[in-house]
Order: sequence, then C-alpha cells, then structure tokens
Amino acid sequence: MDFPRNALAIDPSTEAERIADFIREQVLARYRRKGVVVGLSGGVDSALVAALAVRALGAGRVLGLMLPEKESSPVSTPYALEQAQALGIEALHIDLTPVLSALGVYEQKARVITRICPVYNPDTDRTKITLPPNLLRRDGLNVYSLTVEKPDGSRLSCRLGPEDFRALAAAQNMKQRSRMIQLYLHAERLHYAVCGTTNRPEFDQGFFVKHGDGAVDLEPICHLYKGQVFALARHLGVTANILKRTPSPDTWSGGVSDEEFFFRMPYEQLDGLLCAWNGGATSQEAASALGLEPEQTARAFRELEARKRASWHLRTAPPSLLAAEPAAVCP
Amino acid sequence: MQQVITAFVCESLPPGSPHRKLDENTSLLESGIIDSTGVLELVQFLEGRFGVTVEDSELVPENLDSISRICSYLRRKGITSAEGAARPRAEDEYAAPRLPS
Repeated sequence: MDFPRNALAIDPSTEAERIADFIREQVLARYRRKGVVVGLSGGVDSALVAALAVRALGAGRVLGLMLPEKESSPVSTPYALEQAQALGIEALHIDLTPVLSALGVYEQKARVITRICPVYNPDTDRTKITLPPNLLRRDGLNVYSLTVEKPDGSRLSCRLGPEDFRALAAAQNMKQRSRMIQLYLHAERLHYAVCGTTNRPEFDQGFFVKHGDGAVDLEPICHLYKGQVFALARHLGVTANILKRTPSPDTWSGGVSDEEFFFRMPYEQLDGLLCAWNGGATSQEAASALGLEPEQTARAFRELEARKRASWHLRTAPPSLLAAEPAAVCP
Repeated sequence: MQQVITAFVCESLPPGSPHRKLDENTSLLESGIIDSTGVLELVQFLEGRFGVTVEDSELVPENLDSISRICSYLRRKGITSAEGAARPRAEDEYAAPRLPS
C-alpha cells in the first residue's frame, strides 16, 4: 500500500457532528441515561470530550469532575475550571489526596523511592519516572529511570529494577482507579453515563489504567489520533491554556510529558507512524511518507507492535469459558 | 554461560508457554518473550548472576535481544564462563543514585 500523507486529515465540523451523534445514541438510546460525567484533568482530551458532550446533550446534562491530588500540576484545576466555565457546565472539585493517603499510595511510593535514593525527602522533593528519550534517533530498551529533584533544582537519577518499577506503578495506578470510583459515584447518583477520554494512541498502545481511566461507559474519541484531538479541540473552542499545554499523565510531582513517560517520541511523529502501522504500510512506505529513514520507522514499528501485544488485556473483557457454553434452551 | 541464560529465560516464562522451546537466536522482544518489565528482570539477573554492570548506553536490542546476543555481550564485558566476573550482587543491593549525564 502507499501510505497517504493526508491520512490524518479530518473535517472538524463533520467529525464533531459524527461524535456528537455517537454520544447521543449511546447515552440516551442505548444506556438510557440522562447525561454524562467527564473527568476534567485540565488536558486537551478531557476538554474535548466535555465540549463534544455539551454539543451532543447540552450543558445541563454534562457534569465535570476535577479530581486532582497533591502531586498534580498546580495548573490542572484552574485550567479545567476555566474550560468548564467556558462550556457552561457544572464542575465539582474533589481533592483526592486524603483518599490516596488513606490507601497508602504516597507511603508506598516514598518507601520505594527512599530505598533507592536515601536522600529523598517526600515533603520537599519532586519525582518522576522516564524512559530513554528519542527512540527514533537511538535504539534502546524500555527501561525506566527515577529522577528525584531537590528544592534547589539538583537532580538525582537512578535506573529502576523490576520490583521497584512494579511497586511504583501499582501505587500510581490507584490514582486513576480512585478517579474512576468518583466518576461512577456521581454518574450513578445522577443516572448519567461515564464518558471516557482515551485517544487512539493511548488506546492502541495501552497507555491507560485497567479499571482506572479505562473503566468507562463510552469512549467518544478513542478513534482520534492526538493531532486530530487538537484539531477538533481548536474547532470547538477549547481554551488557549489547555491547547498550549504539553500532554502529560499528570501523576508525578516532577512533571513528566507523555513522550518522556511512555511514547518516546513526539505526538507529531507518533501519530503518523501509528496511523501508517495500523494501515499496514511497510517501514519503507512510512519512511517515504513521513520523511524518516526506513531504519527509524522499522524501529518504531517494532515498538508499536510490542506495546500493542503487551497491552492486549487492557482492551478486552476478561477471558472466560462463556463463549464455549452451549446456548441456553428453555424447557 | 549460554545454558545459564537459557535456563533463566525459560524459567521466566510461564509453564506451557509456546516460547519455551526457544533457540539461541530467537528475538526475545519481537517474540514477546520479554516485555518492558521482562527487560528489567533480565538486566537484574545479568548484573546479579555475572557481576557485571549494564550501563544505560548498553540497554539496546543489539546486546540483549537473544540468548546469543546476550552471550556475545557478556563476552565483550569480559565474562567467559557461567561463574561470572565478580560476586553476585545481593538482591536488595541497589545502584547508587547518580547525576544524569
């Protein structure tokens, strides 16, 4: 096949209407709910979903939840609130820090980090974990490093071992799972559905938490690549603060971008590579269309395939023997 | 040395895995035998069992993507037998924090 250069182009007006129709159909006709709850992170994905939900259902049927915790960026809540006000929707602010403290999230993180880096002070230092940068420029395995930043700006960095990585990831994932609990609390209280905010690269590559941000009733934008998310967000008037913000999981106090934390390349390149790979393009075809070397696209394709394979369980219902059961026969 | 590494990789795989009959040139990454945390396990094993330090710059498929590549990598690090170069590192011994380059 010949990977088309305009494969990612969308007509924002048509696409917005298509998604709004989808939301209406799912929420009102299929789920038979009165509206939707959207977790507003202060990022572009959730801002777009909220804007699409308003277009589909009206502002009176959309509830935004701002669910920060003490390690969230300080701009997350103001940006989310600004977006909610621009859309005219009700928005509730619930600080998850007490819940996460009670669950032991911060304690577990501090215990692991202190063991690795004894000078770590959880009260003053900022932390993040990152992968080796720039996969397209240099091959390298996905080995995470922890960085501890002291108040004076000095940084200590250390590669993570398997037990420490898993312990940190497990603790961190309780943040998204705690958000899910809040979203469903309010959705059930109001007879609303929970609207997900996962986009195509996140969905395809498994960049979401099982039973966390992956646990929703509908996913209106999980067919959209990140550039398409931005195009649609601009079309629907998402606020300038959110549009210019660097995409981030916003779960580490040290501030880490999606590129540093997971994808190892900018979204501008990731979108094209993932679109080409999903469309069955060869690495040569993708290289030609995207202005990269075949060696780079081949490396990226290997990475995309490995991540998709490793994350299969996030995208399916739990395996069971139900399908093998004989059809019920009524007496 | 190859037997030790093969045993580690096989023991890391779940019982019944179709990959258990891997050969020395099987790509551990492309076949899905090791994923991202599997890489961490492998590095921890090599450092502990053979007493080598795997530098960040050495964390590339060229060094670690198959049993034969791992053996070649270890030989380049001066390891010529299953005994390794130094004492095995204790499981709870962690690399000291370092300033980023």
